[in-house]
Amino acid sequence: MAGIFDKVKDTLNSYRTPGYFKKLDHKWTMVVDLDMCNGCGACVAGCYAENNLPVVGKEDCGKSRAFSWLRIERYVDGEYPDVKVKFIPVMCQHCMKAPCEIGCPVYATYHNQDGLNVQVYNRCVGTFTCATYCTYDVRRFNWFSYKWPKPLDQQLNPDVTVREMGVMEKCTFCIQRITAAKDKAKDEGRGVKDGEVLPACCQSCPTNALVFGDLQDPESRVAKMVNNPRKYRLLEELNTDPSVIYLKRVMNDGKSEE
Amino acid sequence: MKKLIVYALTGVISLAIGYWVQQQFFSDRAPVQPINFSHKIHAGVNKIPCQYCHIYAERSRVSGVPNVQRCMGCHKIIKTDSPEIQKVTAYWEKKEPIPWTKVHNLPDYVYFPHKRHVRAGVECTNCHGDVPNMDRITKVSSLQMGWCLTCHTQRNVKNGRDCWTCHK
Amino acid sequence: MKRREFLRILGIGGAGTGLGFVLGKVTQTPGAKLIPYLVPPEEIVPGVANWYASMCAECNSGCGIIVRVMEGRAKKIEGNPGHPVSKGGLCVRGQASVQRLYNPDRIKGPLKRRGQRGSGDYAEVTWDEAAAELAKNLSDLRKSGEAGKFYLLTSQLHGHLNQLAANFMSGYGSPNHIQYELFQNRNLLYANQASMGLNTIPHYNIEHTKYLLSFGADFGSTWLSPVNFSKGYGRMRQGEGARGKLVQVEPRISVTGANADEWVPARPGTEAILALGIAYAMVEKGYNRAGDASAWRAALSAYRPKEVAAITDVKEERIFEIAKEFAQTRPSLAIGGEGLSSYENGASGLVAVNVLNHLAGNLGVKGGVLPNPDDPLRAAVDMNKRITALASAAASSKVKALAIYNTNPVFTTPKAAKLEESLKNIPFIVSFSSFMDETTALADLILPANTPLEDWGDGFAEPAAGAPVYTIMQPAVSPVFDTKSLGDILLSLAKSMPGNMGPKLQAQSFAEYVRNGWKELYSKNRAMASGTADFDDFWDKTLQNGGWWSQEPSRRGLSVSTGAASANISNKPAKFDGDEKQFPLYLITYAHPMRLDGRGANLPWLQEIPDPMTSVVWGSWVEINPKTAESLGIKEGDTVSIESPSGRISAHAYLFPGIRPDTVALPLGQGQVYGRYAKDRGENPIGVLPLVENPKTGALALNSTRVKVSVASPTGRMVKMEGSTKELGRGIVKTVSPEEFSKMKKEA
Repeated sequence: MAGIFDKVKDTLNSYRTPGYFKKLDHKWTMVVDLDMCNGCGACVAGCYAENNLPVVGKEDCGKSRAFSWLRIERYVDGEYPDVKVKFIPVMCQHCMKAPCEIGCPVYATYHNQDGLNVQVYNRCVGTFTCATYCTYDVRRFNWFSYKWPKPLDQQLNPDVTVREMGVMEKCTFCIQRITAAKDKAKDEGRGVKDGEVLPACCQSCPTNALVFGDLQDPESRVAKMVNNPRKYRLLEELNTDPSVIYLKRVMNDGKSEE
Repeated sequence: MKKLIVYALTGVISLAIGYWVQQQFFSDRAPVQPINFSHKIHAGVNKIPCQYCHIYAERSRVSGVPNVQRCMGCHKIIKTDSPEIQKVTAYWEKKEPIPWTKVHNLPDYVYFPHKRHVRAGVECTNCHGDVPNMDRITKVSSLQMGWCLTCHTQRNVKNGRDCWTCHK
Repeated sequence: MKRREFLRILGIGGAGTGLGFVLGKVTQTPGAKLIPYLVPPEEIVPGVANWYASMCAECNSGCGIIVRVMEGRAKKIEGNPGHPVSKGGLCVRGQASVQRLYNPDRIKGPLKRRGQRGSGDYAEVTWDEAAAELAKNLSDLRKSGEAGKFYLLTSQLHGHLNQLAANFMSGYGSPNHIQYELFQNRNLLYANQASMGLNTIPHYNIEHTKYLLSFGADFGSTWLSPVNFSKGYGRMRQGEGARGKLVQVEPRISVTGANADEWVPARPGTEAILALGIAYAMVEKGYNRAGDASAWRAALSAYRPKEVAAITDVKEERIFEIAKEFAQTRPSLAIGGEGLSSYENGASGLVAVNVLNHLAGNLGVKGGVLPNPDDPLRAAVDMNKRITALASAAASSKVKALAIYNTNPVFTTPKAAKLEESLKNIPFIVSFSSFMDETTALADLILPANTPLEDWGDGFAEPAAGAPVYTIMQPAVSPVFDTKSLGDILLSLAKSMPGNMGPKLQAQSFAEYVRNGWKELYSKNRAMASGTADFDDFWDKTLQNGGWWSQEPSRRGLSVSTGAASANISNKPAKFDGDEKQFPLYLITYAHPMRLDGRGANLPWLQEIPDPMTSVVWGSWVEINPKTAESLGIKEGDTVSIESPSGRISAHAYLFPGIRPDTVALPLGQGQVYGRYAKDRGENPIGVLPLVENPKTGALALNSTRVKVSVASPTGRMVKMEGSTKELGRGIVKTVSPEEFSKMKKEA
């Protein structure tokens, strides 16, 4: 009897250790070139369309309940006439040492073998712990079961669950598209090719600022891009080891706030 | 006062238990269909392969309910005197689809591709039971997560125990 | 525990369980239904998505799109990766157009007015009744010899729909087809025609330019062809060769301005003079690559940088600097956008931009201005057919019948045009709008037309990508409601007209009309025929690819003569209404990146996705420089009133350092009365604008008044998604200087 308890305890504890996943099938990575991003917001619309994100309305937006899994942050420096405006798209960073995973009491968020930080809606009991632990403020909570007035519901993507009240959600790197690409690759008896998986944001980007791929594939575009000297990761000093890599914006003021 | 709380709690808990028992063990596993269609005659006696009618099983996540045209393909000639066939003909002539009742129903949050299972060589009967001997379709598997996982574990499916393999 | 108590609990437990069981049985959801196809459509596999190539119609750029359709429902719209305009990308508005298709506020079938005009009291009628009513009204008018008093008012129409409308109007006997949108390229067409003899808008090759000088062109979100230009912008920044530089001249930082390396906040209305000052500086220093220096020096003598500096509030040295960089960086490109053309003398500003390109030798070169082939179906736009012409004709009862399609001029024209009052004089108004709006509310009869995702059509991309781009629009889904294609409505109307309507309206359906039209194009254009067996083969490929395009560039030579330039430029700043003392601030109104002129306001995503610059959602605002606000006692979020000689509106104040202290800016598109998502979102900025139109082109000047801003009694609340506009030392957006970057590039 005691043996079983110990085994369960050990298993659970292993999920508490950062980097518990040992060998990954893929390591999905996104590279965001901030010098190409022009802040237009097309990626946000793509995300809304692909992932069945509900529209919450003015009141709830005012209570910070807007759902966009991907947001574009905008920073304004300086006084007129020397004003510098900067944009940065921020989505779930799919940290390899994710604070949210450590926090969840029911293991609803964990790392899978694709290097993705995933959220299991059916397990989530809505304690909000992950959202408070998250360094990047990318987790969104379903305060209500949102309804789509007819016939807007006809647009809903059948590949993605419509989440209900009380669960946490966040960017999945469009896992349904990853699944579809793997499915297709399996049918054709091959591995997933570089460029075959395109999350909705990367697909729609009018400037091609977002690039997605498998870091473990040495031939992939992202594997080549991560050697770029402009590379940095968001709030890297917090040691969350994010899977989203940003390339610094080229800008006249040069001196970024280090 | 304490007593009242105990009574109330007992009431609520037992109510929940009763509800659960009904849903779990007494739900209708073999609903009556609008047409008394017998899989036994089609798939059993006449040995029509499953995918002759469920045409999408190998290509899509859904196996597909046979379209009415497919039924009429044979039943324009065969057994036209049977009252059940005449019902089908009536639907066909009214240009209305037949409103079958769903027996194997998965919740919205499950991603279950028939295609992957058929291509992996899983027999239809594995999940749907001995359909060739069923007159009316009866749900024999629970279709619950534990049941799925048992099979995934036995067959050693790659990533078969990862949540996002089956959830969406 | 006492025995009695135990039994009692047991009893309650038993009864509860039984009740629960019964409850379960009663509330049992009836099994979901499985509805089979009667006859399975060949191309549909349930659970597998189909993609249909089509054309986006949210703006006039003509992006190729692909629509993901599952079980007959449109799920998502993406850019067509093979299309030379969109190249696989798509902007916010294009992606949201699926919410136009499935909008809950769509008009669900034909309506006939029952109550007073504008009361919104309509009775549902059948298509036959509605079509008969329309045919009766129009044929009566024609019989009485007043065919010319029928007006057709539409948005900018494209391709064969435009041709069909023209054929219908000429068959009917009326010359009055007015195409009106708030953001129409009238000034740009005029300026290119007047200075370079072009009938089409050329391709601005941002992709290969190394120095982009933009005068108020928000090409990353609204101007001309935002997706195509954004694709180019990305390549300009991080493509082959050196990194291109962007200099933005505008009084208020737009989305594109936010990405610029340099922001030149010239005084509103003087940007054209600045452009000519730069041109003069180029000639003076001998930087010019084209044109006779002495002739140009004479032509531009009124634009010496010293004087220009005083007018434009841009330092003389900076003018010389820009001139030097613009001339010496190869290739360079100057563009003039809405910010420039929205002034009363907008067309002359755009001519000035052409002069710059001419002098720097940017015309006809890669990375500069490339000519586009002519639209095979459309002649030059008739600048005399304008919305004010309709208003005055209607006011003097010269309009007996009016048909409206896809445009909302009552919302987008200034009050002084008195459009609403004039339209009320018209005895019969029919609207083909799929949505109730301010203009359609005046209609006696509404025959709702399909939305673009349900419709056939085509377009010849404007501007194309320097080579012919013919895009096809095909229905991705069958109509959601009881609506019809406008083409079909016109064709069947033509058939029900007594008398001869001409031979060009014989097609049975609009789909057939489009196909026949393409057949004709195919027979004339040998390039289309190459690589295809016959027309049927070509047509199949066209539908599959989303259109036809070639790489064959237009070979027309481009230049600007001193004469053409002098005739169109002026050294007077654009006029602003209102006394400087009483109304101290310039007002800039601009096309909103999501809602444009208001057409996107009822699409919920376009309200919920934060505005890129201010992060405001579901509302309207006025952008004020913090210093100005301080002097006026305005705090962020305050309700302020904006008053001009023409009117007064209120909006919430948004303090933004990226705007000149003597200027305030209002985004257009909010303030609508109809639509559950669009209504109650602030006031329409058009309400403070005077009626100023360019006499040559009929384009309405949106930046044409001064205003005064004062704190008003608070109403509502401005909701913005940003927390802080400062990074607060967190190093979120890291940067490298251009010098450092070129060093990095050399090392790599």
